[in-house]
Amino acid sequence: MDYKKKSFFAPFNSLKYLLKDPVTIRYPKENKKTYPEVEGVSPQYRGRHFNDLEKCIGCGTCEDICPTGAIQMVEFDDVKEKNGATKKRPVIDYGRCCFCGFCVDVCTTSSLGMSREYVNNFPTPPEATEDTQGEIISKYFIIRPDLNFSKNQGWITDNNYSWLELKRVVMGIFNPEERSNSFLEIVKGYTKEEAILEARRCVACGLCKDACPIHMDIPEYIMAIFNDDVKESVKEIYKTNPLPEVCGRVCTHKCESVCSLGHRGEPVAIRWLKRYAVDSLPLEEYKNVIANKPIKQAGKSVAIIGGGPAGLSAAYFLSFMGYRITIFEKEAKAGGIARYGIPAYRLPEDALNKDIDFIKSLGVEIKTNTNIDKNMFEKIYKEYDAIIISTGFDLPRSTNLSRNGMENVVGALPFLHDVREFLSNKISDVKITDNVLVIGGGNVAFDCSRSVARLQKMKFGKVKVTQVCLETPDIIPADKEEIEESAEEGVTLIYGMGPKEIILDDKGNIKGLDFMKCESVFDENMRFNPKFNENERLICEATMIIEAIGQAPDYSFIPEEYRSKMKFERGKIVLDENYSTGIEKIFAAGDIVKGPDIVNGIATGLNAAKGVDKLFN
Amino acid sequence: MNQKELIEYIKNNFKGIENIKSIDEKQFSITVQKERIINILSFLKLSNFKELALITAVDWIKEEKIEVVYILFSYEYEQQLIVKTYIDRQEPSIESIKNLWEIATMYERDVHEFFGIDFIGNDDKRPLILHNWKDIPPLRKDFDSLKYSNTIFGKFKKDKE
Amino acid sequence: MSEILTYLGKDEEYEVYELFFGPNHPGMSGNFSYILTVDGHTIKKVSPDPGLLHRGFEKLVERRLWLQNIALIPRICVPEPDINEMVYSTAIEKLCHIDVPLRASYIRTIVLEMARLSAFLFGFGGIGGTTGLYTASYWSISDRDYLLDLFEWLTGARVYHMYILPGGVRRDLPNGWTEKLKETIDYLQKRLNEYDRLIYNNPLVIKRLKGLGKIEKELAIEYGITGPNLKATGVKYDIRKMVPYAAYDKIDFDIPSQNEGDGLARAIQRREEFQLSLDIIRKALKDIPDGPVRANMPNPLKFKVPKGEVYVKIESARGEHAYYIVSDGGDKPYRMAVRGGSYTAGLILAQKVLVGCRIEDVALWMATMDICPPDFDR
Repeated sequence: MDYKKKSFFAPFNSLKYLLKDPVTIRYPKENKKTYPEVEGVSPQYRGRHFNDLEKCIGCGTCEDICPTGAIQMVEFDDVKEKNGATKKRPVIDYGRCCFCGFCVDVCTTSSLGMSREYVNNFPTPPEATEDTQGEIISKYFIIRPDLNFSKNQGWITDNNYSWLELKRVVMGIFNPEERSNSFLEIVKGYTKEEAILEARRCVACGLCKDACPIHMDIPEYIMAIFNDDVKESVKEIYKTNPLPEVCGRVCTHKCESVCSLGHRGEPVAIRWLKRYAVDSLPLEEYKNVIANKPIKQAGKSVAIIGGGPAGLSAAYFLSFMGYRITIFEKEAKAGGIARYGIPAYRLPEDALNKDIDFIKSLGVEIKTNTNIDKNMFEKIYKEYDAIIISTGFDLPRSTNLSRNGMENVVGALPFLHDVREFLSNKISDVKITDNVLVIGGGNVAFDCSRSVARLQKMKFGKVKVTQVCLETPDIIPADKEEIEESAEEGVTLIYGMGPKEIILDDKGNIKGLDFMKCESVFDENMRFNPKFNENERLICEATMIIEAIGQAPDYSFIPEEYRSKMKFERGKIVLDENYSTGIEKIFAAGDIVKGPDIVNGIATGLNAAKGVDKLFN
Repeated sequence: MNQKELIEYIKNNFKGIENIKSIDEKQFSITVQKERIINILSFLKLSNFKELALITAVDWIKEEKIEVVYILFSYEYEQQLIVKTYIDRQEPSIESIKNLWEIATMYERDVHEFFGIDFIGNDDKRPLILHNWKDIPPLRKDFDSLKYSNTIFGKFKKDKE
Repeated sequence: MSEILTYLGKDEEYEVYELFFGPNHPGMSGNFSYILTVDGHTIKKVSPDPGLLHRGFEKLVERRLWLQNIALIPRICVPEPDINEMVYSTAIEKLCHIDVPLRASYIRTIVLEMARLSAFLFGFGGIGGTTGLYTASYWSISDRDYLLDLFEWLTGARVYHMYILPGGVRRDLPNGWTEKLKETIDYLQKRLNEYDRLIYNNPLVIKRLKGLGKIEKELAIEYGITGPNLKATGVKYDIRKMVPYAAYDKIDFDIPSQNEGDGLARAIQRREEFQLSLDIIRKALKDIPDGPVRANMPNPLKFKVPKGEVYVKIESARGEHAYYIVSDGGDKPYRMAVRGGSYTAGLILAQKVLVGCRIEDVALWMATMDICPPDFDR
């Protein structure tokens, strides 16, 4: 490109620019309108932060992702306490913040966002000296939770572009046709690849740890699974949980209900990850992974009455402290409610045995088929240095409908017990008819109805189970999965009805049950006190009735002189601060302390073990 | 020549290659002994790998080795070639290639400054980027930038890691 | 550090001085200096003196998680930060074998070309500033603002966008954005004629640039000169075409090139590539498909990259911008080496080409070569 000789008029040519609009914009007289809907900066501008304190759970994920270390979690006293949240809230230092918005994109609750405010100027404090000026400036430069800079939303979290993996890895489940005619375990369990993918979702906030009754090191064992180090994972699990196979299947997973990922998506499948870890390590390997030497030699002997989860847990922890443990179990095998209350399709025999075998291998003696009565109790009390009572809730509650001698009306626990015995070929048959009615809305009721469904399918080839509960769908205590899966297996569920009377035919056999409408389950004080409307009735035909409306404790084996000194509240034993019953050498654990829940059983087992150890030190 | 033929060609015409592997369809890497580095690079330059894109290094502190990396490019084959060699970490030294590519002088000066590698034959060891640097070469793995910053500028209240 | 002017001695005709050129100069996008040995006003020797801008990126990335680095690396280059995100994300995608959704590739293409346009506009200002045509600087910086507005709308920030992530992009295009971009492209197209009148047809510029810092084809390749500077010497090589990334392989375009290899050819090459970028954006906007904008990616706190090493380069406004990334299979990069587009031009070629030029040519030469100090002083 070369240039031409310029004409004489060329300089005048540029005069035309005098009439043109200038390229630059004379702000503030003029303003270029770039964004159609808003004034000023763009709709998703990354300006200064705002944080909805009510929504924020203090998980600290923003602190972890911050590339500049600008975010610090600070504990605040005036933050309202709520379940599944810490009292910490993010404090952002604008001297370091680079406005990348990563904290917003990983926020687990969408509480943190960025505003469209960016101007950050403030008057120089004239009175400030060198000592005080830092403090004054930090008022403007550090956003604390109690300051809400702006509500003018800019860059906010969006589930469509989430940095967190909001969806769970799908767990393989046998379909209803396959599972409903056998007691095969329903949930297939994660494969290695699936488990690593699921473990990858965890942000290691540790909220689950606080929610777990036994405070398991959940982020740590999930991290170990993510690193494909099952041994390390099992080691972390066994630090706090002696029954991981059981908990990995039937735990009430309070951890998952507080999981920070659950606010925007699905919580991490913590329970199944635990199950994956223990399932993939054979029992023989346990010895190499978990320290099996007692940390000290106490040299004392402890008797545990009841070989359920709480008793086994107490035995596990005490054996590490060097105590000689004897468990007295009235059934043929240890396990308690985990064996005789939970159906095999949720907790298979092998898994339970693996947990118990490991505890046995620590030197714990389990005397099965040993029923404790008052005399025996006195004997044990003299022989042993301490006693832990963990007998559980093993008496079925009844609706008081059945009159004496009425056959075909059974309690939930005896029924489930028989099913378990039938499956392990102890008894040849479980009594069952082709039309069964189950009363109750808890998990145990579902266990019964689903077991019945399976037995009916095996025996008669078709299912006819009706389950009736007092509660409406919003307050039913059972898990959601139970309701869904039982429906798939052919159980008919009727909500909001209470039993009134059993209808008999001429021969005195059961023909059906008369129900009345339940208006409300709880009274003003949220106490269980159902109100019925007798005008709305429903008659269900059935030839067998299973009552699954709760269980009660049995304290008849404790001699009167001890029992009179114990304190009871609503059937449960009240413990003092040393986890003792108030009587020398006698401790208690399990359902009789905290009510029916396996993981609470383990927690109280640990507490009892602590109490025992405190007694001798 | 496509990449496969090129790899074959190099394998057949240059003896002493320890490892040759394809990274993707436009990129492959060659590992050679430290002593052979000038030979391979001059061979490659003659085989139309005319552009020296970068000289850099990686400190493998656990293996007690420093990996010196030469990145070449051929406009003719449109192939990127990564030539690697391993040298001792305690006394890192390697022949300079400044006679092959003049621009290597600056790359080598840069790498010398950040890794402490002695390029035999390249006497220009004046500091390029880090004026008045007194610590160990900063891109070595045992140089802790946070510790350095804390001693020079004072400690920051929140320290990750 | 040297004095600004040091007396060295006298030769036959003139007194010889050492001149400290820099570190702040309007024609430069960073702090960088040359120490010139001058004989009168003719340059005898050039020695580059970087280090005033060193921030230690290569070390800093080793301390941060793979994803956290996205917030750090754009800072390597101010005029065109997106190329860093692109190289880094592409490297991770290559190491992890992640397929990027097609829509994300197109959005990346558009964003990269927009960044390129804004870098070229910066460069127009540079040429204007160094030749004394300050109108060009005002014009180009205010035109660049229209692009920054669009960036702000799309990514939430004006300069450091942190928009391109491993696996795709951060957000989809907002409603109405595409139309606004089309408007802006048409506006810039119109403005290009004005720039032609102001700069490229301006006798003053032509006279100053013609023959300045002429580089031969062979020398350019030998010295690792890339990008528009290489194309200005007649080598029709463009990474977008030859080693395509993003959606460049799906867009049809021709590479412009010049033959002279001097300052004027380089300036005109940049102006041609400005036109090319406008065309590429138009074509990309026409073809952009629907779909997701990010592949399924792991939680950033538990993101590990498999062991391996990769050299990824892309075409920036200054040439081959590349990272050599080594992963040891951990959650942080083991090593990341940055090869900026003007590394060799600014540090090595200058020593050869600037000898014999005059002092006032240094800044102009740097503007035509588009030397960006962060490229070597990263």
